[in-house]
Amino acid sequence: MSFRQPSILPGFGLTLGFSTFFLSAIVLVPLAALVMKTATMGWSDFVRVVTDARALASYRLSFGASILAATLNSVFGFIIAWTLVRYEFPGRKLIDALIDMPFALPTAVSGIALTAVFAENGWIGQHLAPFGIKVAYTWIGVVVALTLIGLPFVVRSVQPAIAEVQRDLEDAAETLGAGRLTIFRRIVLPTVFPALATGFTLAFARAVGEYGSVIFIAGNLPMRTEITPLLIVIKLEQFDYKGAAALGFIMLTMSFVMLLSINLLQAWSRRRMVAAGR
Amino acid sequence: MSITLDQVTKRYQGSPVVNDVSLEVGEGEFYVLLGPSGSGKSTLLRAIAGLTGVDHGRIALHGNDVTHVSARQRGVGLVFQNYALFRHMTVGENIEFALKVRRMKAAERRERRKELLRLVALEGMDDRLPTQLSGGQQQRVAVARALAHKPPVLLLDEPFGALDAKIREELRRTIRQVQRELKITTVLVTHDQEEAFAMADRIGVMNLGRLLESGKPDELYARPATRFVATFLGAANLLLARQTEQGIRFGAAPVNARRVEKLEGGREQEVVAVLRPEEVELAPTRDNLRTNFIANGIVEELVFTGALERMRVRMADGAANAHIVTQANGSSAPAALLDVTRTQHEQRLFPVTLGQSVAIGVRRIHVLPTPLSSYTAYGSDQASCERLSQHPLLVELASRMKTRIIKREETPLVACDAPASAPVSGVAVIAAGPKTADQLQWLLQNGAGEVLVLPAHSASPQRVLIHWADDSARRSTLAVAASLLRHVAAEAVYVGILPEGSSGESQRPFGVRTLLDARSEAQAVHGLEMRTELRFGAAADELQRQLHDSQDPMLILGVSDPAQLRGTFGALFTSGASYPMMIVYRPSKDNSEGAAE
Repeated sequence: MSFRQPSILPGFGLTLGFSTFFLSAIVLVPLAALVMKTATMGWSDFVRVVTDARALASYRLSFGASILAATLNSVFGFIIAWTLVRYEFPGRKLIDALIDMPFALPTAVSGIALTAVFAENGWIGQHLAPFGIKVAYTWIGVVVALTLIGLPFVVRSVQPAIAEVQRDLEDAAETLGAGRLTIFRRIVLPTVFPALATGFTLAFARAVGEYGSVIFIAGNLPMRTEITPLLIVIKLEQFDYKGAAALGFIMLTMSFVMLLSINLLQAWSRRRMVAAGR
Repeated sequence: MSITLDQVTKRYQGSPVVNDVSLEVGEGEFYVLLGPSGSGKSTLLRAIAGLTGVDHGRIALHGNDVTHVSARQRGVGLVFQNYALFRHMTVGENIEFALKVRRMKAAERRERRKELLRLVALEGMDDRLPTQLSGGQQQRVAVARALAHKPPVLLLDEPFGALDAKIREELRRTIRQVQRELKITTVLVTHDQEEAFAMADRIGVMNLGRLLESGKPDELYARPATRFVATFLGAANLLLARQTEQGIRFGAAPVNARRVEKLEGGREQEVVAVLRPEEVELAPTRDNLRTNFIANGIVEELVFTGALERMRVRMADGAANAHIVTQANGSSAPAALLDVTRTQHEQRLFPVTLGQSVAIGVRRIHVLPTPLSSYTAYGSDQASCERLSQHPLLVELASRMKTRIIKREETPLVACDAPASAPVSGVAVIAAGPKTADQLQWLLQNGAGEVLVLPAHSASPQRVLIHWADDSARRSTLAVAASLLRHVAAEAVYVGILPEGSSGESQRPFGVRTLLDARSEAQAVHGLEMRTELRFGAAADELQRQLHDSQDPMLILGVSDPAQLRGTFGALFTSGASYPMMIVYRPSKDNSEGAAE
């Protein structure tokens, strides 16, 4: 039995060995260490730590805000990508470059900047205050921060997919009597959906793991604006390594389950498109 | 009429890609728009579909004006070169798309889908995905999808472009069959003349945004009106000939060609003749020919291509030799080569070998109704002749018209006092300068009918203004304008000018009628679509104002008396024109004959 197939990279054995080693050293071993550390604590201790009211509140915020941010990014990222691909306008290249800024910016910097702008006396915050909307130091602030850092993932995933939607398809649908909404829903969206799902997944994964920018804008009130990564750091600072590991393990498991299900959904929707090799 | 286009114009960045196209396609007719790439045929099709707006003109489907109706509401059936199938839908879903959008019931949809799949011979393929089908099958699906909602017309944009030859032929037959069965008015766009002949009830040939000619395939092939159509629809030898009272004359030999339409006035003039390769007869000697002898020649190239034998024969007789119109690009080497094709039967009757001398006869010759035959660049010395013959606009015109530029040195051009060394024939070309008016008059006196005046720097014209001094120059000016405008991507505007003070209520209807008459004559007699403008004032001033306001203008001016150039239009020549001018001259008495027709 052989898995060998002709390839430009040398040696199946060598490349597979290297991949395994690399994956182990960078990803699997640290994760295993996390699991083992968690395993050293008793079952009842584990349950107590991870079902602590403060921990439960932090899960809700972390995952809830991440999903919300990723959803917002999917909508607005799509619109931005559409604008950048479909229209020629002065400054297009500049905006295109700006999209990548959240990648490059240290997250703490963006957190501080957002706090300054959205605080009650900040540029945007002061206009929202009269309506009773507080952004900084509330869960809304968390969503704002997570949206900022997730945006480029969606835009960059969707851009090539939109470029691939042929104008002819839209023209054809139009002559067949479809309105704009129908064309978007039945023609454009199905074509772009797999890429959009990828963008959503990446933005979501990034948001769940985000720490730097959130802690500045969230205010970190226990039970209310405390994200799980922060709770882990607090536990570490109290030398509660086992508790930190337990929370980390829960985050890991939940993220894995969510990413896996998104990937499955994506594979399902893509199967029809790719079935015949296109 | 199923489709009516009236002076449809679409500009892209200022220059017209579809230029004043008027067209009527009848009920159930299969119309083919034929043209090289970039001729505007696809843009025109998209305009009919409503996917591209037009800048000017009207479009009607089945008598309803749809110029400002969206593509969605027009609901034409459109088939694209790249199929444009929805890849995430099955064949069945693709076909039902238009029905679903119209909220048709599922049972009826299924019924219609079955019927359409049978029509395009794809029964049972309902659940396949487009990507699982071959190119030919995908295009069949696209045709079925376009027909699903029973569109008013079917439009096909190079539908066979991406298919190989064998499948192409099969699909052609299918589409023609479907079209006949449904009796649906169809417009197909292609650059392939063979395809056009195979499918069309009627062909329209487009070039540079203009619809040059429209007609039945066999008529267009046998009697084209333009050089472009003559050569685009198949191999053609273009020859310069003289039309005399006895008939067509190539050098010394007169040819009594049948069906030579009388041109203008009956005066002897240079004309362009089309000679199809299959209309040439070869024989060992002049006496063996059963048709009109035109020249002796030597076989220079011989290729056997199965059913036909193709060869090139160099014409040997001096006079005929010089009269071959050179093909585009080859203007430097006078190609006196005649393309000839012969059937197997002809080959058996008279087998030829390379280098053999033969007598050449013609069965049928067609004279193009164009007044612009060849260009002769006039200068007072060799250098100025040479410079003028290299003028970019002249070179462009000559290569587009597939004609040649002759250089002629005439010293009398300096003082304009002595007669020319030889009578002027074809279009005379001179450089614009302070003496333009004198030189024009001198050329007209020496037999010139058309004179092109070129300033040193002039771009390809965008807007051609047409004006004639009086009615006797009208017909020939329109003929020249029509011929010229087929070879430049410019819009044509006829400027009618009435004297100052005649703008009163009584005169205005007269002016408007003049414009309408001019437009309909241009359309009916010369196939030229043009705009019209009415001005009041002194002719030269008004023309100058118009020319000044236009981007890259050109003027076509018809006169019936050389004195008009100094009188009425003197102002145009005093300051050395900065735009190209074509002066058309027909003496008024000769013209009485032409006007009577």
